[in-house]
Amino acid sequence: MSILSYLLDHPAQVLALARAHLWISALATGIATAISVPLGIAVHRLRIVRVPALILVSVGQAVPSLALLGLMLPLLGIGFTPALVAIGARALLPILLNTYAGLLTIPPSVVEAARGMGMTNAQILWRIELRLALPVIVAGIRTALVVSIGVATLAAYIGAGGLGDLIFQGIAMVDTPLLLAGAIPAALLAFAVDGLFEILERGLMRPLV
Amino acid sequence: MRFLRATYLVLAFSVFLVTSSALAQSPTVTVGSKAFSEQLLVGHMLALLLEDGGFKVNNKIGLGGTALVHQALVAGEVDVYIEYTGTGLITILKEPVQEDPVKVYDTVQRLYKERFKLSWLKPWGFNNTYALVIRKEDADRLRAAKVSDLMASANSMVFGATQEFVVRPDGLPGLAKHYGGLAFKENKSMAPDLIYDALKNKQVDVISGFATEGRIPANNFVVLQDDQHYFPPYFAAPVIRDETLAKAPAAAEVLNRPAGKIDDGTMAVLNYEVAGKKRSPEEVAREFLKAKGWIK
Repeated sequence: MSILSYLLDHPAQVLALARAHLWISALATGIATAISVPLGIAVHRLRIVRVPALILVSVGQAVPSLALLGLMLPLLGIGFTPALVAIGARALLPILLNTYAGLLTIPPSVVEAARGMGMTNAQILWRIELRLALPVIVAGIRTALVVSIGVATLAAYIGAGGLGDLIFQGIAMVDTPLLLAGAIPAALLAFAVDGLFEILERGLMRPLV
Repeated sequence: MRFLRATYLVLAFSVFLVTSSALAQSPTVTVGSKAFSEQLLVGHMLALLLEDGGFKVNNKIGLGGTALVHQALVAGEVDVYIEYTGTGLITILKEPVQEDPVKVYDTVQRLYKERFKLSWLKPWGFNNTYALVIRKEDADRLRAAKVSDLMASANSMVFGATQEFVVRPDGLPGLAKHYGGLAFKENKSMAPDLIYDALKNKQVDVISGFATEGRIPANNFVVLQDDQHYFPPYFAAPVIRDETLAKAPAAAEVLNRPAGKIDDGTMAVLNYEVAGKKRSPEEVAREFLKAKGWIK
């Protein structure tokens, strides 16, 4: 098929861009997880943290991705770092909300029973609460990563490379095969990640059934 | 009953009024442009000139890259935009490079009419050629004044350009071939107006800038001479649909007012007002055209 011509003629280039693309998406999501899970626990525990945390995290959600990238320019310039921050900002909310929601599903009686058994708060958090909330948290990380892969295509606008470069080149030249050489791998990456997480979540659910 | 009939009569009369007045008005011309700051400026100049000439203008300024705007023009979604002769020759017509500005203009004028039924009006005077630009300290350190002087150190320099330049036939691919395998350490692509800051902030070392870009002198950058004559001339002129000219012949006169009268230096100053001083392109265009007496 001629629309796949660029993709099939330049496998090495596309693969290299796909790796860079996946790396920035995964790293951004990883950093967002490191911020949002503790924040989610705090939101669950302390009512006063709830509103400020939500506002902070909603900024990353409400501001359009391209605008987020543009806002990074005066602060961090162009390239990998500003793109990482912008992509990560977008990933914060789903992970935060899912951490909070996951912790909410735990029946208080379970926590009481654990306390009755003499477990400390830290032990309860680590061994009971987080473990029970894990499937929901992982679902949040899954959403965040899939979204990050999409947002990362825009990062080429500020010089961060990735599959977005091919998409922008294709748009500049109105060259559909070139555009698809960026868009199709990006879509496939998103599907693959989603599928992997599906397997992971099923695996996590089994001990609870 | 009488009320209803009266209402119908009033409605019918209003429709008649509106349609007849619409037919009596002058034709609407759709102005397009590419997305970087110089194009926004000249796009607004086109719009303001046409309005001054009594035309209604539909604004599609800042549409996108070269191929996109050209396709819109051919399809009739846009009636006129400013194109550069070299771009027309190499990227659109895919003809071989020529260096003589007059020959390039004649070729694009002839072939655009043949192939697309589009007319090139008179060039406005400035030659916005691609220029390889580096920071002054690097120019001093490498003693580089020409593109050829970069050959030795290119593999330790990061190149910054638009995605369009990286993939256009008269862009990076041709440049690399023409200058005997000129290859940089890394190529970073980004939106057109970001490359100058990227060069200033040392995130890239060489950029393919525009010769009429005001930020070049403003940042004390050095333009490398294209000593092996790779880039063709890029004189700017309005390109308009023959169909539009037929419907609105007066448009040509209006759009030819700046012909030959805007030189590189003037364009660079105007570009800096927009890109450097962050003024609105429409405001800068209006101010300039008024000062020149080309609009009221």
